[in-house]
Amino acid sequence: MRGGVIAKALAVAVLLAFMGGTLTGCRPPAAEPEPQAEIKPEDRILRVDSDWPTYIDPAVGNDFSDSIALVNLYDTLVFPNFDGSVRPHLATDWEVSPDGRKYTFYLRQGVKFHNGDELTAEDVEFSMKRLLTIGEGFAYLFESVTDVKAVDKYTVEFTLKEPFGPFVRALVRLYILNKDQVLAHIKPGPYGEMGDYGKEWLLTNDAGSGPYKVKEMKMEEYLLAEKFDDWWGGWDKDAPFYLKLIATPDPVTIRTLMARREHELTSEMLPEENLKALDEMEGIDTAGYFDGVNLNIMLHTRKPPTDCIHFRRALAYCLDYETVATKIWPDAVQARGPVPHNLPGHNPNVYQFKQDLEKAMEELKKSKYYGQLEKYPVTLSWCAEVPLEEKLALLFQANAAEIGIKVEVTKKPFGAMIADAQSPETTPNASIIFVAPHYAEAGSMLKSRYHSSTCGSWEQCEWLQNEEIDSMIEEALRTLDEKKRFELYYKIQEKIVELCPTIWVLDRFEKRAYQAGYVYWPAAEEVKAGKAILPIMGYGQYAHDFRVYPEKRMELLKTK
Amino acid sequence: MGLGRFMVRRLALSLLVLAGLSILIFLIARVVPGDPARLALGPRAPEWAVQSLREEMNLDKPLHVQYYLWLRGLLRGDLGKSLLTRRPVMDDIKEFLPATCEIVLFSALVMAVGGILLGVLSASYPNSWFDNVVRVVAYLGIVTPSFVWAVIFVLIFGYIWPILPVIGRLEMTVEAPPVFTGFLLLDSLIFGKYEAFWDGLRHLILPSVALALGGMAQAARITRSSLMENMGKDYALAQVAYGIPWRVTLGKYLLKPSLIPTVSVMALDIAALFANAFLVELVFNYPGISGYGIRAMLNKDVNAISGVIMVMGVIFTGVNIIVDLVVAYLDPRVRLVGGSQSG
Repeated sequence: MRGGVIAKALAVAVLLAFMGGTLTGCRPPAAEPEPQAEIKPEDRILRVDSDWPTYIDPAVGNDFSDSIALVNLYDTLVFPNFDGSVRPHLATDWEVSPDGRKYTFYLRQGVKFHNGDELTAEDVEFSMKRLLTIGEGFAYLFESVTDVKAVDKYTVEFTLKEPFGPFVRALVRLYILNKDQVLAHIKPGPYGEMGDYGKEWLLTNDAGSGPYKVKEMKMEEYLLAEKFDDWWGGWDKDAPFYLKLIATPDPVTIRTLMARREHELTSEMLPEENLKALDEMEGIDTAGYFDGVNLNIMLHTRKPPTDCIHFRRALAYCLDYETVATKIWPDAVQARGPVPHNLPGHNPNVYQFKQDLEKAMEELKKSKYYGQLEKYPVTLSWCAEVPLEEKLALLFQANAAEIGIKVEVTKKPFGAMIADAQSPETTPNASIIFVAPHYAEAGSMLKSRYHSSTCGSWEQCEWLQNEEIDSMIEEALRTLDEKKRFELYYKIQEKIVELCPTIWVLDRFEKRAYQAGYVYWPAAEEVKAGKAILPIMGYGQYAHDFRVYPEKRMELLKTK
Repeated sequence: MGLGRFMVRRLALSLLVLAGLSILIFLIARVVPGDPARLALGPRAPEWAVQSLREEMNLDKPLHVQYYLWLRGLLRGDLGKSLLTRRPVMDDIKEFLPATCEIVLFSALVMAVGGILLGVLSASYPNSWFDNVVRVVAYLGIVTPSFVWAVIFVLIFGYIWPILPVIGRLEMTVEAPPVFTGFLLLDSLIFGKYEAFWDGLRHLILPSVALALGGMAQAARITRSSLMENMGKDYALAQVAYGIPWRVTLGKYLLKPSLIPTVSVMALDIAALFANAFLVELVFNYPGISGYGIRAMLNKDVNAISGVIMVMGVIFTGVNIIVDLVVAYLDPRVRLVGGSQSG
């Protein structure tokens, strides 16, 4: 009698298993192309993962994934070269007044927005005004702009309250929107007659003229953009038809997707062991470059015991930089001062701290906290989203212990670190943070990292608030002559290193895995050719210049 | 004591629990350090814009006024705006909750069918090789977190034997149905998009099974031990002695009382799936409410945190009420005791 029940139960189980088999086995997975299948437009896709959420509104986005999206959806007046300089893009030419306060740009004619409208000077004027009014994203780069005016259909003029030397370089962050299209979508909001300035609509739509246009934007999941056939710059037949930007999932998932050829380019945050494993797979390579990002241990200069310069120097002499740059981040180099070594304006002669426990002890003895170290532990936060930072935190803790300094390590989500950085009371003594420049020049880094106006942001957990440094930075940024400006940058870097508000750990080597078997990635090719490149945030993933070869992908799938 | 009165008392208690939860979560979300408006707009946004957002979110008002306004909004279905997605929290919940519900319902199905089936089989063949295998597998299932199963499944069914999708809800090439209920499978059926239904179902398998395994193993063990206990009781032996077929004894007289502890525990497990879904959603890049909630917490998105937790609270409370109903149906003693004493 029991046997009957068991038999029925087993029959049900077999039925369920059969149903499972039916679901999984009867059809080939939709994303797994049949090797002989015809190549479809959707096979020419470039899939990239990055931090999330992504804001595709040009007046809001300023993070890594935002930048990848924005540079592909929108055009800018100038375009960055891999060496950090800029070339004409929407603007064919420009002039600067002798006092450096007036810039006149001449626009390319016949440029179409994604909806077919022509891009004119009015759109440029609107985009700048919108950015400055909203005040988020990259607006701070243009705070010296007092007026912008469309002189005629193809000429636009910017007036600055004072000269801003890197103005043209910074324009790689002014994304041009279609004024009429945005105005057609405004809703009630805080910006007077402009309502919400189209912010709600631009969360999931674009009003750009860039090489790609939004096909679908899922706020918590992905951005799917498709090729804009009428893009003024033209197309190569092998350029990707689609660009899909997804939220970075678990590394195991990324590895699996790469192995299945369902992902083309990984994020820069993939742990080293995963990159190595991917590198060993057929058709997958890793490539990278110094991306102008540096890793800092920011020391709070207003909070005991790191308010003492000798104490800070003692910490700077403690750290085992060699282990960091050879074991934890194997391809990185030790940083030399606050500006990454490949960023134009970097001073190659500033003092570089090396691990020297004797010197550390000497400095510690000069500190007012010497002899009472137990009372003054150093609080340190590291970012939970970057697991490798834990190794650095623990190494730093061990190194500091060698001279009797106690470091209390806390793992924090980046959001909590941003919240902590809002006031001097909640900012810890030490914060481990990566920082990226927003345009390719030392001034970008110096202003965001050490000018008093950025205190309270995660980019300056030092609370330096040094008037002399402030005025030096302002003066440098006002200087039009590049040579003179760079000389001023040099001096600022020397002065900052003297104050030692930061332990400059390393200059990052941004490394990603990609499908070298069927994807051409321009930045990787430049590196392979032995060139030193500096694609600033987002521009290394400019999909228009990639090439995708689906037939080679099919071959790789066949050989699996 | 009637079932109606019993339920009224349970509902009243649940409302009290939800009111307490609303105060608690509202306060916790707001006492954490950091200015949410500044966090949302970024360090360089002008102060007037930040202040305007504070006013829009009522963050400039005293805490008790903020709570009153929030509660008033809640009762009208307005949970405020998310700082992270910059949309109304209700819109986010409408988008992400059905996705997680689909995983959870599918998991619940796997958990219930698999758990009870394995439990019954184990109890029917105690200490046999089958029982021993189920025991080992069950222990493994209980001690292994769902995200580990998720990773293992990705490796097995995504990499070694790539037969199932490992990311998202739908392939790019498959046309999604119009959004009506938000439930992809249901909407696909409503609008006759069978390819989307099929593809959505395939996307559900791995996350759901990964999520279900722990609860399924637990259900199997509880069912087995409960069934074994009842099998030894006099009434069961008497029925066997009277010659009543075993399947009738098992199906009609033993299974019903034996399922009471299983149902109670399983229901809470099913409700807990909403919380456990986070890491599974992360592994499979599945756009659900759990991942949204955790992101909101990490970014001090106060309205989203409060909204998500209230929704979770309502779900937990609702599931508890359903469990009480099911248990009361299975065991009349619960109705009587619940009505006269515990209520």
